[in-house]
Amino acid sequence: MIVAMLNWFKRRKQTKKSYLSNEEWLELLASPADEKAVGELRKILVRGLKPALYKYVDRELDQFVEDTVQDSLVKILDKLDSFRGESRFTTWAMKVAVREGLSELRRKKWQDVSIDDLASAGIEDDDDSHPVQFAADNPGPDRTTHESMVLEKVMEIIENDLSDKQKMALNALMVEGISSTVVADQMGMKRNALYKLVHDARVKLKTKLASEGIDPDKLLEQLS
Amino acid sequence: MKLTPELLKKLVRASQKTLSEEIGCDDCFDQLHEFAELELSGKTPEKAMPLVQDHLNKCGECRQEYQALLDALRELNS
Ligand SMILES: [Zn+2]
Repeated sequence: MIVAMLNWFKRRKQTKKSYLSNEEWLELLASPADEKAVGELRKILVRGLKPALYKYVDRELDQFVEDTVQDSLVKILDKLDSFRGESRFTTWAMKVAVREGLSELRRKKWQDVSIDDLASAGIEDDDDSHPVQFAADNPGPDRTTHESMVLEKVMEIIENDLSDKQKMALNALMVEGISSTVVADQMGMKRNALYKLVHDARVKLKTKLASEGIDPDKLLEQLS
Repeated sequence: MKLTPELLKKLVRASQKTLSEEIGCDDCFDQLHEFAELELSGKTPEKAMPLVQDHLNKCGECRQEYQALLDALRELNS
């Protein structure tokens, strides 16, 4: 610990910039964390976060960044063990802080939206009980019978082969455009699990289209 | 869920880009610091870590975090 601090001060004198090695950071931040090192990391994170977040924060950027850094420092100190040295320590720490800040902003932005309300509002609006509906109910004269049948089939696949959870997620993400952090929160899962849920839905659709002999390129052409 | 032609297109396109092997947000996050440094040092992280690149292409939130991380790191390096 003392050697690390001495090295640090020596270098600070020479370059004015604080340049700790990864090993020194880890040594200084290991519990009980060195106050000066924590202060130094705080400064670095604040400096980086401002240009990273300013376009997403409409007011009081400084305060928001300070709060984000405070929360991030707790997380960083808590999971020091998971840093395996593939980058500079400060790059890794900055990554944690950026995610912290953006997640908070997403939650704030969508705090008044409930995907349950969206889902039930959708059901009330609809006359029949089909969870999936094609907006243009009649296919139109420019669509051949064959094309209409293909569309019908695709809708059937989406309605029958995707789970309610998958449909709920796709609706919130792709129709409503809600942040996946927020959708995951509201569905009681992690963002990672939500991604997997949607991935499985994509795989299902891809496989089903193939097994039904539906050419996706033709389908896309028909839809445009 | 109302299927507009627009949404149907999105779904079909997304399904066609689907790979059987994709990483999730956690795996992407685990490698993002390394990916960012490769990019900032002028290397080609998309070649070294194609699954991370694929996830960034597909996941808007991870992509937003990555862009913000690059902005932050550029400031620190300046
Ligand atoms: Zn992601």
